Amino acid sequence: MYQGLAFRTAFLLTGSSTDAEDAAQVGFVKAWRALPRFRSGAPFRPWLLRIVANEAHNRRRASGRRATLELRATAAHPPDDAAPSPEDAALARERRGELLAALDRLDERDRDVLVCRYFLELTEEETSEALGVRRGTVKSRTARALERLRADVEVRA
Amino acid sequence: MNELEQALRHLGQELDVPESPDLVRAVRDVLEPRGGRARRRRRWALGVAVAALALLGATLAIPEARSAFLRVLTVGGERIELVDELPGIEVAGDLESTLGERLTLNDAREASDFPLRTLDEAPDRVYLGERGTVWLLYGTPANVRLLVAQTPLLTVDEPALRKKVVDGGGTRVESARVNGADGLLLTGDSHFLFLVDRRGNAVEASARLARDVLIWDAGGVAYRLEGDLDRARALELAGELR
Repeated sequence: MYQGLAFRTAFLLTGSSTDAEDAAQVGFVKAWRALPRFRSGAPFRPWLLRIVANEAHNRRRASGRRATLELRATAAHPPDDAAPSPEDAALARERRGELLAALDRLDERDRDVLVCRYFLELTEEETSEALGVRRGTVKSRTARALERLRADVEVRA
Repeated sequence: MNELEQALRHLGQELDVPESPDLVRAVRDVLEPRGGRARRRRRWALGVAVAALALLGATLAIPEARSAFLRVLTVGGERIELVDELPGIEVAGDLESTLGERLTLNDAREASDFPLRTLDEAPDRVYLGERGTVWLLYGTPANVRLLVAQTPLLTVDEPALRKKVVDGGGTRVESARVNGADGLLLTGDSHFLFLVDRRGNAVEASARLARDVLIWDAGGVAYRLEGDLDRARALELAGELR
């Protein structure tokens, strides 16, 4: 149930499928061993993601780099959307590529909070648990990261 | 949600994320090796016993103890093992290389998700190392007066630091109450210290000989003071750290 989410989280944080696989695997093992200490009634998903995110950070630091994320070769469209013209599709893809590049230029902590909030679609509370920071920090860091991202995109536009 | 947030949400759906490999077998292999169930039960029993001993905070005259349970102690993000002899691996001569990246105190505060404590005297150098450990160095790397480490703790983590102390040797291990928390004080002969990665493997490049150390944890952070310290001086410095 959580395997896909754990792997996706680790991949988005490291940009490497090898590191993501290692991080998710070790994360599951540690979570299993730590289950007796898991607070009954607490949400399991962010707790697990925190363990996996820690593993992912560790691997990213160990390798001294983070591989950049890439767009899928073919963009998906909601079934009820009309397919855009080739020109519009190319333009949209270019914009998404620029946004992704700007995201990769953010520092680690800004990038991580945006990955959790918008790529993994975690709530502020879940992000707080996953990244091991206070909820207020998630809120302020998200706002700051969005501002920096917006400024970067505008400067390069 | 504004336009930029919507664009990010959409971008997340357009990323090229590989399919998750099957992790079940690999995880099961780790958790259930042959004969693993019985071994795991023993490990849990040992872990529980160790934790209980660490929490008791009773006076622990470790050199005199011969119980197998008392050969391992965990406190303040460190695991202390009493061994018959120190490992033979090469000890790093360059202290800085074991501490991490050098940065300013303000940058360290900014980089830490916990309130960094300092002494009244400003440190001469600051480093950010593995596991988010912040090291405050007083003196120079070649002539260290005091080394203060602060590591955020995650309960499921392996301890970040591991020590090996010769059982019955010249290192004295005793309990200490530090600002109301249970701690351990190691004084006397140097002991062997190395970092442990999140898989529990020794980071060989980090190995070094450590001097007198006071370790404790409070508020989810592990603290350690290292230098030429006797009990009174160590506790005095710990009280100043805020």
